[in-house]
Amino acid sequence: MSPPVLQVEGLAVRLRGEGGVAEILDDVSLSVPRGGTLGVVGESGCGKSTLLRAILGILPRGAETPRGAILFEGRDILSDRAESARGRIGFVPQDPYLSLNPVFRAGDQILEIMRRHARGSRRDHRDRLVELFRAVQLPDPVAALRKYPHQFSGGQRQRLLIAAALACDPALVVADEPTTALDVTTQREILALLRGLVTERGLSLLFVTHDLGVLASVCTEVAVLYAGRVAEAGPTRAVLDAPRHPYTRMLLACHPDRATDLAGIPGTVPAATAQPTGCRFHPRCPIVHSGCAVEAPPMVSLGEGRAVACPWHEAALA
Amino acid sequence: MPEILGASGLVVELGARRGLLRRRAGVRAVDGVDLSIDEGETFGIVGESGCGKTTLARALLGLQRESAGEIRLEGRTVSGLDPRAARRVREAVQYVHQDPGAALDPWWRVGATLAEGLAIHGITDRAEQRARIAETLAAVGLDAAMAERYPHELSGGQQRRIGLARILLLRPKVVILDEPTAGLDLSVQAAVLRLLRDLRARFGLTYVFISHDLSVVRRVCDRVAVMYLGRVVEHGSAATLFAEPRHPYTRALIAAAPHLDGRESGPSLPGDPPSLRAIPPGCRFHPRCAAATEACARREPVLEDAGPAHAVDCLRWRELAPEIPGRDAA
Repeated sequence: MSPPVLQVEGLAVRLRGEGGVAEILDDVSLSVPRGGTLGVVGESGCGKSTLLRAILGILPRGAETPRGAILFEGRDILSDRAESARGRIGFVPQDPYLSLNPVFRAGDQILEIMRRHARGSRRDHRDRLVELFRAVQLPDPVAALRKYPHQFSGGQRQRLLIAAALACDPALVVADEPTTALDVTTQREILALLRGLVTERGLSLLFVTHDLGVLASVCTEVAVLYAGRVAEAGPTRAVLDAPRHPYTRMLLACHPDRATDLAGIPGTVPAATAQPTGCRFHPRCPIVHSGCAVEAPPMVSLGEGRAVACPWHEAALA
Repeated sequence: MPEILGASGLVVELGARRGLLRRRAGVRAVDGVDLSIDEGETFGIVGESGCGKTTLARALLGLQRESAGEIRLEGRTVSGLDPRAARRVREAVQYVHQDPGAALDPWWRVGATLAEGLAIHGITDRAEQRARIAETLAAVGLDAAMAERYPHELSGGQQRRIGLARILLLRPKVVILDEPTAGLDLSVQAAVLRLLRDLRARFGLTYVFISHDLSVVRRVCDRVAVMYLGRVVEHGSAATLFAEPRHPYTRALIAAAPHLDGRESGPSLPGDPPSLRAIPPGCRFHPRCAAATEACARREPVLEDAGPAHAVDCLRWRELAPEIPGRDAA
């Protein structure tokens, strides 16, 4: 088996801010296999965006030097702020309306990225971009080069941005909730496109989302984040069908497709400046034990690639 | 249950201008909508962005003047008035903003915002204002001390609750909820939906629930209307609509919603809705419809009954009906 494209090991990120030191991520480990799709799910404030920024080397200024390691194709990219991986990691942003400069032609904006990071002449770049526009199914790819962002619809802009992410022939594509700003019908088309690109081009994909339905349709593997730690990880189908961590179980019970009663999860996600001791879910957990507040639970392997950070994962929820 | 809020032949034109020499035509964001919402029910309105959901809500509310048609509230005709008068006769209808954070003044304490609504509706006594605010905050599950906070100190879920408290203070009968769960986390969404259900029972409210999240609509709505380009293309009870969708557009919408089990159902819907400035002739949906025939481009369909309390706006629904796989198509 070839080594994973991306491997995050024991990553911890702390940000210094007005409210004190915020522990955004703590001991996060995950990996994206070559040609594989890993979904990272979690609610707002769980550290999804910080994880992406650490991988892309764009942590904010207030960040302390992170601990742990991020290995991209076997090399550590945490220490050099992903400098050595420029152009090798493509990024699909969340909001297609905010991510393109309205006063420049869409084609020119993407060609500028290629001039910095991709080999070849301008003519090669242009030909390659037209081919990519065709691959992401933009209507009339040659004319699209000359259009301005406002001349595209929301779904078409997201296709443009996917083409931009692929422009430098990356080994890994990182997508940050790429469909939240879109209608369901458009979302479905974009998800189908991403799935197609993964199979046809052998892309490796790290997909961040809060929508479990979207996760189920794109990713084969999943890592569930809660308050900056991985609560549960494993094959998506297994985790969604039989969640083990109390948080995952309660989160899935909130999904309108599953919910018997709209219960929600009592309490709120803790502030990053005041993380609880021990297991970070313990103040909200229905099966909390006395030891939970003392020591952070280690990941317990369940076999078949699954792991859960809860020693009481076999207990029934009260 | 009797009808509390209804509309017939409602048309709302946006952007029309009358110049010195000629009149510039606007676009018809709502084009001939008939609705009848019963007392105490949750009535869902779904559709893609730009289909006229919000414009319809604004017209029902009285913020947007209708160009034609009639709006009824508790059996009285309340349409044909200028916006100021329209709001007065429609005090019983209130609206919860899509983004409650943006609807709160960042420089005002939440309590001041809440008191302003009361003052506008003639309750100026400070003690009574405070008592009502405390009572309503408790009803939406917030502490009375919350009134001293500023909007940025509240979480997304708390802001929704304040948005609800703000209109509950005015003792409405009909509440229009515009995307009440957009942008909320799953666990918070469940809590907000539960709160909405409890408040409906406690205050005897009727909800108009505008959303594009079909899993949520299926879960909370009694009846649902599907809109496409300013028209209602199908309406019926939520159970019927999701089990036996008749209009090709409804089927495509239901099929597009992602499911936890990751299965794909039905054909996908390519492209975007056309612009309101260039509404296709005949059936508005025919350029995107997989089942469109030549007749669809020429003849405009009308809403036909497809069963008890179920109507569909498609020329070919009878022929297409048997193609529906199984009962649980969603």
